[in-house]
Amino acid sequence: MRVPHGPPSTLGPVAVCLALVAACYSGSPAGDSGDELTAASASSSGDPPTTSVGESSGGSAGDDTGDPVKPFMPGPPVLPRLTQRQYLNSIEALLGPGLPVPLLEPDTNPYLFFNIGAASTTLSEPGVQQYEEAADLFTGIVFADAPRREALVGCLPAAPGDACVADFIARFGRRAYRRPLSVDEQARWLGMASELSDGDAWQGLRHAVAGMLQSPHFLYRVELGEPDPIDPTRLRYTSHEMASRLSFLLWNSTPDDALLDAADAGDLLSEVGLLAETDRLLADPRSRTAIRDFFAQFLDLGRLDGITRDPTRYPQFSPTMIESMRTEVRLLVEDLVYRQQGDIRSMFSTRNTFVNSELAALYGVTAEGATPVTFVPVELPADGPRAGLLTLGAFLTMNAHETENAPTSRGKYVRTRVLCQDVPPPPPDVDLKLDPEEAEGKTLRERLEQHRADPSCAGCHSFVDPPGFLFEHFNPIGAWQDLDNGYPIDSSGDLDGKPLADARGLADLLADDKRVGRCIVTQLYRHAIGRRDVASEWPALDEVADDFGAAGHRFTELLQILVISDLFRTVAEEEIDP
Amino acid sequence: MTPRKPLARRTFLRGALAGGALVSLGVPLLDAMLPTRPARADAPKVLPIFGIFYWANGMPWHAGHGETQGQGGYPDLWTPAATGPAYAPSPLLTPLAAHQVSVVTGLEPKTVIPDVPGGQGDGHMRGWHVAMTGAPMRSEGFDQPSHTMTVLQPTLDQVVATNEQFYGKTPPRFRSLQVGVSEARFHDFGHWNAISYTGPDAPIAPVMSTAQLHGLLFNVPGDLVSLGRRARLLDAVLDDAESLRVRLGATDRQRLEAHLDSLSEIQRRLQLTSGTCDMVPPVPEESGDLLVKTEIMGQILAVALQCDLTRVFSFMLTSPATTHVFANLGVANDMHKTCHDGAWEQVRAITDYQMQAFARLLDKLAVKDAMDMSLLDRALVFGTSEYGEGYQHSDREMAVIFAGKAGGKLIPNVHVREPEGNFSKAHVTMLRAIGIDTPSFGFNGGETSDQFSELLA
Repeated sequence: MRVPHGPPSTLGPVAVCLALVAACYSGSPAGDSGDELTAASASSSGDPPTTSVGESSGGSAGDDTGDPVKPFMPGPPVLPRLTQRQYLNSIEALLGPGLPVPLLEPDTNPYLFFNIGAASTTLSEPGVQQYEEAADLFTGIVFADAPRREALVGCLPAAPGDACVADFIARFGRRAYRRPLSVDEQARWLGMASELSDGDAWQGLRHAVAGMLQSPHFLYRVELGEPDPIDPTRLRYTSHEMASRLSFLLWNSTPDDALLDAADAGDLLSEVGLLAETDRLLADPRSRTAIRDFFAQFLDLGRLDGITRDPTRYPQFSPTMIESMRTEVRLLVEDLVYRQQGDIRSMFSTRNTFVNSELAALYGVTAEGATPVTFVPVELPADGPRAGLLTLGAFLTMNAHETENAPTSRGKYVRTRVLCQDVPPPPPDVDLKLDPEEAEGKTLRERLEQHRADPSCAGCHSFVDPPGFLFEHFNPIGAWQDLDNGYPIDSSGDLDGKPLADARGLADLLADDKRVGRCIVTQLYRHAIGRRDVASEWPALDEVADDFGAAGHRFTELLQILVISDLFRTVAEEEIDP
Repeated sequence: MTPRKPLARRTFLRGALAGGALVSLGVPLLDAMLPTRPARADAPKVLPIFGIFYWANGMPWHAGHGETQGQGGYPDLWTPAATGPAYAPSPLLTPLAAHQVSVVTGLEPKTVIPDVPGGQGDGHMRGWHVAMTGAPMRSEGFDQPSHTMTVLQPTLDQVVATNEQFYGKTPPRFRSLQVGVSEARFHDFGHWNAISYTGPDAPIAPVMSTAQLHGLLFNVPGDLVSLGRRARLLDAVLDDAESLRVRLGATDRQRLEAHLDSLSEIQRRLQLTSGTCDMVPPVPEESGDLLVKTEIMGQILAVALQCDLTRVFSFMLTSPATTHVFANLGVANDMHKTCHDGAWEQVRAITDYQMQAFARLLDKLAVKDAMDMSLLDRALVFGTSEYGEGYQHSDREMAVIFAGKAGGKLIPNVHVREPEGNFSKAHVTMLRAIGIDTPSFGFNGGETSDQFSELLA
């Protein structure tokens, strides 16, 4: 089964305009104090939004204030609905492959991640109807096919409500709800299987399955915790909830029987048991897709969807170019995570990449064996302009307009995506104007410099633009350009006061930047739990980041570190009105 | 139930669609073609229709939007020169002139602008939220990378669709429909691709595919026994949710309860033994051309309204801050950037094009039936955009168009002007026109009990 692709759209270049607006702000005296950028303070959900320029979302709380480090306290529970992919993966796990892909509520990705959208948005009425129709569609197909339904059910029901029916409902319910059914639930679906059978036990089972597939216990991840025997001030996730958390993190799908068996045995309440299952799940190909999906969201690759370029202006930009760029990023990340098992931060500095023939031409490199559909590994030249994701097609193209670069957007990506720093939106009365008359005969950089000359804009633009200017030699499709608007390009810039000549200089700097590792921890955590981190979790996130660093910033090690941390295993008690 | 399909009508429609010649079908959707709905013909009262037509990025800027906007010396092509009945349309309102729309000019948001996080006064935010909900945006979550486009209050279409005075005890098959045309969106984020919300973080994604809209409305199984079983099954699903509901905190409980409310609505729909349409149009072609797609979507919507499958819709031509590239108009960059670049003439051309699209939709609703009554006669279609203009994001001089007669309650072809007027006066006027008691409307500084009496019969 495939997740339906979102409708094509023209969005990549566009986040830029507001990005430019968003960057133009001088709300804080700390605005351009680059040397304080590693200091982080509050900008997390639930806190008063006191974010100012340069603060990092979810950094090491307290480091810069001299306050004693507060102990870790778990954050609140969430109730994520399954994302499209999680739903479809779960359906395939429950009913088998080959079912059609129905229309489903679109995912949303606030704070980059579908899991956060799934935990914060309310399902629309059309979305509820689509679940109802999907359940009818799937069960109709499966139960109309005699060999298929017998394989699913595993026994032949002779009469509505017989032992075969009851046994199947218990087994299917455990898979669907990711825990054993309660007595009431078992009775409910057994009752439906009889009432709606019309004398045909198969028909009854079909309806019971369709009902369970519409139950909130299936459609939402119910992970609310139980009293923690070692700390009465918090809850821990149950063994079955841990199975669900592990499985959706590592497979983006529902637990299999082996994982549920481990949960039944209470194995997932111990580090040893968690690590054993983590190793097993990571060894399964499903984990590759799940990790790929995480990086696609972390790197914001959804913004590549629907990007267009005028072929008369950019003859190299073929209809397949966007997919080529996306594939390159996927191959590069997978190579780092699985084959090299290297420092994941090097995705922003490595000269190793994977190109097909059109990317080879775009970068001006030779790539033996590359064809339009064959990607081959290449080492980018040591004396060339490119190294790392920030010098490759995907980043450069999705952070540009149709006809010109967007240095502010590129710089903002470096700040917010790579370093996890926040750039707040502008004040309500900001003047957004770049005077077009004055722009005549100038490079884009020179026009943007006006922002920094204007005191009301200088704060944010001084923060965002200097790293963005480093990419000015790459045009809106990521090809090299010598001139901009007919004038020589100045690609020098800086990051936090460190002068840099170009994007290669930035790549060298990021290769060993602790903030990059800390940022990946924050983003993985948000993805894993379906909400933003809260301040009381930062001490534990700092610890995870330290352990991640000690493990050579290897990504699969980070997953192992995270799943056994209290961050992933405990939760605050929710206040419930009776 | 097997829907009856009057052959002559279908054949005609298929021919018209195949030829792409949809501008004027010539043959009205006659009541005679709807044999199972005698009730409506007998009804003394006309059931009103409420719709929203939304387009992105306002209008070309002029001095009325602010000092900076006035520096180019560009004329105001939106505001008609004269006020009152039978006004002469301005250049940008000319495409709508045939439908005798009423227009209110000079309106702007009056809501408070919270200081933190900054940026909430921006037109995309303040203007859009006031036009669609009468309230400020929700501050929480705004300071995130994609600027969560989320509401505090339901959008006006949902206010109407959930109002008991509007629908009474027997709502039609769908309380509302959401339709979209351009798929371009500003952020890769669902919130930015929807204009209808039932509440905070509760967007209703518009149907973007003509085939999908057709299927939703007309592809209803005819086996009532099977539908009855599916409806009965939802009782068990609702029961099954209870053990979860009582364990949740307030926010998640609300999310779940909204889901369960929708389940009840789906259940009602499954139990309906009537209310499907007897006059199923052929499955339409998809089109990437905004005007053609507007006509196709508009035609399906017209049949749905004629069959009383719904009485409320939102029609999103382009999504807020759209990045649609109007290459057909010779515009190289996406629209949002084109506005910021100060390309006034291109923004004028795009706005004119968007008004042509509005007119194409109204064309579909304006076809007279056997009683000499059109859907548009029954309807109030509220045309609006997110701010006054996109060059500086000013939310002054916002666009407000009322198309239709709301069953005689709304006076067409009038221009009312109130410089610096409260946008929610338009909301009050609309809600009263469609028969909803509205002592006041607007929130957080935008409250008003005033109406534009010149527009109400």
